[in-house]
Amino acid sequence: MRSDLLAQAPWYVAGPLMALVVLGLFVVVGERIGVVGGFSSIVERTSLGRPLGWKAWFVVGVLTGGAAFSAVTEHWRVHEQYYWLQGRVGEAGLAPVLVLGGVCIGYGAKAAQGCTSGNGIGGCSVGSPASIVATATFMATAIASAFVWSWLS
Amino acid sequence: MTRLRAASLGFGVVFGFVLAWSRLAEPRVIHDMLLLRSPYAYEIMASVVGICFVAIRLLERRRPHALLTGRPVVVERVRPARRHVLGSVLFGLGWSITLACPGPIAVQVGQGFFWGACTLAGVLVGIRAYLWREERRARVTADAVFSPSA
Repeated sequence: MRSDLLAQAPWYVAGPLMALVVLGLFVVVGERIGVVGGFSSIVERTSLGRPLGWKAWFVVGVLTGGAAFSAVTEHWRVHEQYYWLQGRVGEAGLAPVLVLGGVCIGYGAKAAQGCTSGNGIGGCSVGSPASIVATATFMATAIASAFVWSWLS
Repeated sequence: MTRLRAASLGFGVVFGFVLAWSRLAEPRVIHDMLLLRSPYAYEIMASVVGICFVAIRLLERRRPHALLTGRPVVVERVRPARRHVLGSVLFGLGWSITLACPGPIAVQVGQGFFWGACTLAGVLVGIRAYLWREERRARVTADAVFSPSA
């Protein structure tokens, strides 16, 4: 089993498994999947004193799932380099760039009422027009930007 | 722990595990996706959306109630607004820089990836900044409603 996990999951395995999670949340909890909502719940709890929502527990689960995978495969990413970005901005520049990118992700996802999970998977699955527009927009922006960063570097 | 929390945690663990197994939490895989070098991530997204689109429509006909809460499941289909476009542009920019979106960021942190924690710090700051802006808007609106006119 460990050798199966060391290889990247085929899309026809990963996709249906994720679909089971989306459908499971829909049937069992009665809610749409979303990750940034979970981070938001944690922020609201710590800064505004609001109670933790179910999405906060979902996000803790996602983090735990990642840890579980590393534990099973015995591959932790503690000293991993950050792909091409680290070579471009150096180790000293990497943290501020990632924080800035993270700020864009957090603020933008809240404004758009969802991220790749919430709008891209959850919202598009139910055919929500807002999610379809949001997904098309962030995909187009990300793809165009990636080509621009690639050209600039 | 309540059953709702346990179920949410359980679904999250499965989701995180599959994200890690599919390597969608690795910047290289997302970079290949955004530079259109590999269809892998698109195949996953398309299969998830395709399966769920059909399944949810079939479920809706049965007027389902959530198993844990008993409440009727309401599927929200929202009209697009300016916020969905502007927010998504900002999100897309951030995604292209960090090569990670919120789910993979959580997985990165779980896997001990230090740089993932930096991205997460930014995400939390961004969320707080948005909430602060919304609080300010609400206060300005309340002042306009309750202040006596000049």
